Amino acid sequence: MSRNIAVLGKGSLFTAVCRFLRERGFAPLTLEQLADHDVCAVVDVNPGVDGQKRQQLQLAEARISPQTPIYTSTLHRTATEIASWLSVPERVVGFSPLGLEQFPVLEVACPLQAEEVKGWDQHLRLAESWGKQVERVGDQPGLVFPRILSLLVNEAAFALSEGISSKEEIDTAMKKGTNFPFGPLEWADRVGIEQIAAVLEGMQREWGDDRYRPAPLLKKMIYAGYVGIAAGRGFYHYQDAKLGG
Amino acid sequence: MKSEGLRIQRPAVIGAGTMGMGIVEVLAGNGFSVQVVELSQDLFNDALQKMDKRLLRRVEKGKMAAREREEILGRIRYVPAINNLDQVDLVIEAVVENLAVKQEVFKDLGACTSPDTILASNTSSLSITGIAAKTTRPERVLGLHFFNPVPRMALVEVVAGMATSPALVEAVSEWIRTLGKEPVKVKDVPGFLVNRVARPFHTEAYRIVQEGTAGKAQVDRIIRSAGFKMGPFELQDLIGIDINYAASVSVYEGYFHDPRFRPHFVQQRMVESGALGRKTGKGHYSYES
Repeated sequence: MSRNIAVLGKGSLFTAVCRFLRERGFAPLTLEQLADHDVCAVVDVNPGVDGQKRQQLQLAEARISPQTPIYTSTLHRTATEIASWLSVPERVVGFSPLGLEQFPVLEVACPLQAEEVKGWDQHLRLAESWGKQVERVGDQPGLVFPRILSLLVNEAAFALSEGISSKEEIDTAMKKGTNFPFGPLEWADRVGIEQIAAVLEGMQREWGDDRYRPAPLLKKMIYAGYVGIAAGRGFYHYQDAKLGG
Repeated sequence: MKSEGLRIQRPAVIGAGTMGMGIVEVLAGNGFSVQVVELSQDLFNDALQKMDKRLLRRVEKGKMAAREREEILGRIRYVPAINNLDQVDLVIEAVVENLAVKQEVFKDLGACTSPDTILASNTSSLSITGIAAKTTRPERVLGLHFFNPVPRMALVEVVAGMATSPALVEAVSEWIRTLGKEPVKVKDVPGFLVNRVARPFHTEAYRIVQEGTAGKAQVDRIIRSAGFKMGPFELQDLIGIDINYAASVSVYEGYFHDPRFRPHFVQQRMVESGALGRKTGKGHYSYES
């Protein structure tokens, strides 16, 4: 079986996924390389806020066999919605690309179109072969961890813009007062502000609940290109810009 | 902002509950003689005995010298009422979380202490501005929100009410650092900083479970995998589900029902059922001793 995996997306998350796959003996390929290579899977990390995700997934699907699983980031849209764009929806595995290199757990979701399809579980073998403890959760934007993280970041962003404390104090307070491993603002810089906003907007869209309304500061940071470590600037400044990790 | 170069010499603590005695332990452990006001000598003795048990355990484990324990105990003095406080320069109030009760305490403190005395409240949820307004010197009133267990948690939120002197906030923050604690200056908003920003960690976890996205144990596993020491449900069992619910309701009410802070009815059901966490032997998980 082929060890090639087509990776769709861009930015630091794309780089991280390619590095992760290479370390496990897989060869990441671009969409363009799909034309003359077989692949055992497609891994798509586009958050899906714009039309790129749909376009790339449809292009990829036209170039792979009907059995090939497609892992797709469900940070912004449900696996069910993404699957609805494809001609073989039951091959779709929703997943969270956050912390792929660090976390022992991989969160996955099954689209509604595949819920009664026997054999969908077979698609999870790939993630298990990466050494992941696979947790199958319900199909919601942001799954579990990205959703909770995004809400923590959102609240911290509101608190910062309201001038309740400085950014350093907010991060210190959450680490020392509640034992968070990182402050929410520094964590957002690592993950990428656009990923955080994607989860919030996805939840707001699917649930119609103001609870998920992104802080205007997050949106402004995206307009300004201050999207985190990879951009050299997020909530904090990073001298070593364009780390790509 | 230039600091006043604060010299605290005679601190006092009002209320010998868990938080009050935790603060007393930190102060006495840093060499301060502390006056402690409690409603009766019996209540104070019980509280002191509990604290001494903790100290003894540390002595037994070799983490504290026997003499240090004696010195700490020797620095703690019972005072029957606020008007018996003797020349205090800082008072930290840690009585029950009830605005009317705290306002009464601050009214008395304002009347019985010198105009320079700094008056602090360890409230986790009430408005410092509202408490300060009952004294004749709101500029000398601030919040000092310690976290439970006080001897182990480094963070202290230093809360400025609307009238609090900014220089005082700076000076007290610096002094907090000399106790080996980490001060964070925050504005007087509902839940202050930590209780507000941490709210979704708990309330969103309830939604995720209730809507059928994941099970409780699954949420805890996923959150631990991301680097947290504990998932939201195991953490609530440790904190007390009732305490966590009260904090949720308080922040929600404080922001006049902003949906971001909306608690979940399952929190209330858990409290109603009496499954409050480890302290009752059952919460989200069962704890058979």
